[in-house]
Amino acid sequence: MQMNRRKFIVGSTVAVGGIAATALITKRTATKDTVQVGSIFSLTGGLSITEKTMADATRMAIAEINAKGGVLGKQIELILEDGASDPKTYNEKASKLVLQDKVQSVFACYTSASRKAVLPVFERRGSLLFYPTFYEGYECSKNVIYTGAVPNQQLSNYIPWLVKKQGKKKFFIVGSNYLFPREMAKVSKSLIEQNGAQWIADEYLELGYSQWASMVSKIKNSGCDAVISNVVGDSLIAFYKEFRNQGLTHDKVPICSTVTSEVEVAAMGPEYAAGSFTSFPYFQSIDTPRNRDFVQRYRAFVKDPQAVTHDPLHSSYFQVYLWKAAVEKARDFSADAIRAAIGGLSYDAPGGTVTINAENLHTAHTPRIAQWQADGSGKIVNQFPGPVQPLPYSAYGETEGNLYCTVSGLDTAKLPK
Amino acid sequence: MFDAVFIGLSVGSIMLLVALGLAITYGAMGVINMAHGEMVMLGAYTAVMAKIWLGLGSLASIPLAFIVSAGAGLLIERVIVARLYGRLLDTLLATWGVAILLQQAIRLSFGLAFFGITIQGLGTDLRTVQTPEFLHGVIAVGSYEFNAYRTFVIAFTVIVTVVTWWIMYKTSLGMRVRAIMRNPDMASACGIDVARVNALTFAYGSGLAGIAGVMIAGLESVFPDMGTPKVVEAFLVVVTGGVGSLGGTVLAAGILGQITGIASALTNDILARAIVFGIVILIIIWKPKGLFSYRGR
Amino acid sequence: MLISRQDAAKGAYLLFILLVLIAPTLFDVFWLNRFSKFLVFGMLGIAMSLCWGYAGILNLGQGLFFGLGAYAIGMSLKLASATSLQQGSTTPIPDFMLSNAEPGAKPDLCCINSGSFLWMPFNSQYVGLATGIILPVIVAFIIGNIVFRKRISGVFVSIITLAIVLLTRMLVVQAQPFTNGFNGLTDLGYLSILGFDFDPYGLSSYYLIAISLIAVLAISRFITETRAGLILQASRDDDRRARFLGFDVASYQLFFFCMAAAISGYAGMLYVIASGFVSPTFMDLSFSISMVIWAAVGGRNSLLGACIGAILINLVQATVSETPQFVEAWTVVMGFAFIMAVLFLPRGIAGVCMEMAGRMLVPDTSPRKDAHISSAKLAKTGKAQ
Repeated sequence: MQMNRRKFIVGSTVAVGGIAATALITKRTATKDTVQVGSIFSLTGGLSITEKTMADATRMAIAEINAKGGVLGKQIELILEDGASDPKTYNEKASKLVLQDKVQSVFACYTSASRKAVLPVFERRGSLLFYPTFYEGYECSKNVIYTGAVPNQQLSNYIPWLVKKQGKKKFFIVGSNYLFPREMAKVSKSLIEQNGAQWIADEYLELGYSQWASMVSKIKNSGCDAVISNVVGDSLIAFYKEFRNQGLTHDKVPICSTVTSEVEVAAMGPEYAAGSFTSFPYFQSIDTPRNRDFVQRYRAFVKDPQAVTHDPLHSSYFQVYLWKAAVEKARDFSADAIRAAIGGLSYDAPGGTVTINAENLHTAHTPRIAQWQADGSGKIVNQFPGPVQPLPYSAYGETEGNLYCTVSGLDTAKLPK
Repeated sequence: MFDAVFIGLSVGSIMLLVALGLAITYGAMGVINMAHGEMVMLGAYTAVMAKIWLGLGSLASIPLAFIVSAGAGLLIERVIVARLYGRLLDTLLATWGVAILLQQAIRLSFGLAFFGITIQGLGTDLRTVQTPEFLHGVIAVGSYEFNAYRTFVIAFTVIVTVVTWWIMYKTSLGMRVRAIMRNPDMASACGIDVARVNALTFAYGSGLAGIAGVMIAGLESVFPDMGTPKVVEAFLVVVTGGVGSLGGTVLAAGILGQITGIASALTNDILARAIVFGIVILIIIWKPKGLFSYRGR
Repeated sequence: MLISRQDAAKGAYLLFILLVLIAPTLFDVFWLNRFSKFLVFGMLGIAMSLCWGYAGILNLGQGLFFGLGAYAIGMSLKLASATSLQQGSTTPIPDFMLSNAEPGAKPDLCCINSGSFLWMPFNSQYVGLATGIILPVIVAFIIGNIVFRKRISGVFVSIITLAIVLLTRMLVVQAQPFTNGFNGLTDLGYLSILGFDFDPYGLSSYYLIAISLIAVLAISRFITETRAGLILQASRDDDRRARFLGFDVASYQLFFFCMAAAISGYAGMLYVIASGFVSPTFMDLSFSISMVIWAAVGGRNSLLGACIGAILINLVQATVSETPQFVEAWTVVMGFAFIMAVLFLPRGIAGVCMEMAGRMLVPDTSPRKDAHISSAKLAKTGKAQ
């Protein structure tokens, strides 16, 4: 045993030391000809299935920009960190990027939990977070550029269309148990009532929990004719499967999701999603030459001819170009300069033109609704004629004429008492 | 209400399928196998890989999953568990370490990911398993509709439980296992090759977990971390049911399944889970050795 | 040169304390903050060692106490944050409560939703600090009282602690209006004691944590050297025999269980001060199990071993995680090291170090005070004390 132990200690010390040394040696520092930007996505853990693709899209955008000469003559160097699907890790990595590596701009985050965990770091140190994911709104930080959709861009088209065009009258709302689904449910409820329909239930299931038998049974017995689903993560796959297994069909009681994207449809098998709907500004099936080219380039970049593109991936991609445009306009890489320059900037993204709203630093998107087909693609069944201005406080009465979140910050007096 | 009962049966049957293997290894060997959830995961991945590489449907991959998981279990038993007999807490921890390694093995395609090789079917992505065509949809009995696949799983669980019971109580191998359960030293003194029987028992328990994995894969998605919640749940069932008692395990799974089903119908799924946890805690406190237990271990 | 084992141990402690105190000269602002979090994990390692190594209670839910302490101070710091005064009322209200408000409720902590009045005492940071230690101790006392008095031992205790931490995590996430659910408490203010603010990246926070760690280490070491510590170890090795010798094993187990809980709660508070947020993931099962791994690899029977084990493992993990390929490899290494430690090195790396240094040390020959339990006294009083 003595010899075994000694060998083990020596062996493991060498292994650990080797790993640590290599990691330290590969530390990068910026040079005169490069500018460093940061990115944090979950490359490991339960959320990596979606977030890895967002990291890939970010890398692709940076590679494309570098190939065309970089920004202001400098090549972009990306420091990509792994959030490990854990807000604690996100917070640590954000601190590292902002404090140690001193980057001014970071492209990061998928879940609201991770965004909330890193927000204090950016606000205290004055760096800029580019957040590419659709979220629940109710935020007005001057240190975040929000390039994902907010509820009025995902639901304000969706609910009226479901009620008027699809004739749905009774909605069952289901979601994962955290902030985003709860806020989306709130917005949904008020929109449903405004459109003269009825919501009969508002239920939640723990994030990551996959036992749907009871919930689907409730849905079946409730007499609803549509299900609004804000279920996130891999448990939504079990949901769609259970739905069909209990005999429910999407032509009679469709699942109308705000989250399910090409990634989840591919993972669950298209026959479970066929006939259901999702509302996003971007779908892979947008039939423009620009988008078709984008999908091809993405597939070539990740070396996977079966790869799918989806909305947060699209936002991760174009937000880098928006950053580039702001830097070139301000001729400066600092966060303050970018923030001042980015308001009002547009970019011709693969999914259409996107513009940053100068007041609330959110993005104007064109809302779309798609119905999933048997081959896994989303056929676009409804599209707004043009982009819609983002209103992060629409659930609380914000309108385009009466903005709650402006350049001077959040006007709390306007929040409902 | 009948729906809730059916769901309770279904949930209970899945719990039982996973817990049965754990009950055997725990009861027979006093070994707490925290890698049991990973045996389930291996079974599920076997079904995924069998479909991709061999074109087998999920039912056809059941024997294959049994072999893979049983093989893995045998390996774990010989290399690790055999050195830790009598050290209960240490087997818990060591097998947790094995669980971590198995999860990483799948994530990294058994190390090949370092060389840039991806194996289709492995890796960090979510996978699914298709259930057989004839089990899609519902079975209508009178005015009630039963999900066909879940009914199949319940029936399957019953068959597996009966087979296990038959092996345990009607074969000489089972008799030897039960002898070891009662008193390993005495059994050894009576000429039973304890080491070999233990290895076979562990392999069988792991194989059962593999089969459970195939069944579960039809209901949920397959990913490397799927094992941990399963082993925790299975553990609670086994400990509630009582050490070494198959009947106790069946009863505990049934009770906890029904509680889940009814509580979910009455309140919501999250509170139902909390209630189940609470009840398990109370049962362990009230009867620390479980609902049924053998004295003398 | 021959040194006695006692002196070598003292030397190791002193060296460690010295390194911890001069760390600010070795690290920059970011790394120092990171290191302070590792020190907090070191405290958790000590708690784990006390509970498991010395008392023989494998607590698979140590994260419960850590989380309770974290939420306690988190609530106070949330109320102290600037945004809490921007919610449209004159008294501080956490921002998330506004989106979870009962319709038509007055925007005040007393009544904005059904549980919010419980937040009111936390306006005082001293209440938060006190609750952060007292609440875990109370919970530990309740659990311990039931479990140890019923002589539940070994694996069943572990299962109960595992189930309790999972249950609590679920309830915390469920109670969205009260705890902000899965998102946790973010955007916290600074801890302010007697007018002095603790910035997470400031030197003051680092020294608060460093000195707390040293104090915990010293106190724990002292207690394990007392008679109570010895009796505890005796009951760990064979509780029935200890009982037959007349010791009230349950009380000792309860005391050390509560002490480990207090240390974990305190560690939770320090972690919030260093990181600036609270999350229900503090009560994840995997995090609690990590604590077990740190103690196992570091050496569960040695307070300093478990402490250093926790610090080193997290240090390497942080360094390695910056290179993506190595993250996965590191998890494999850790899993492997854990299995090896459990199989072959029950005393962990600390044990190996002591063994390797064994040749240089002579056994300690000085008589230990209080270690000798007089049989005459036992016969007279029927009790060991």
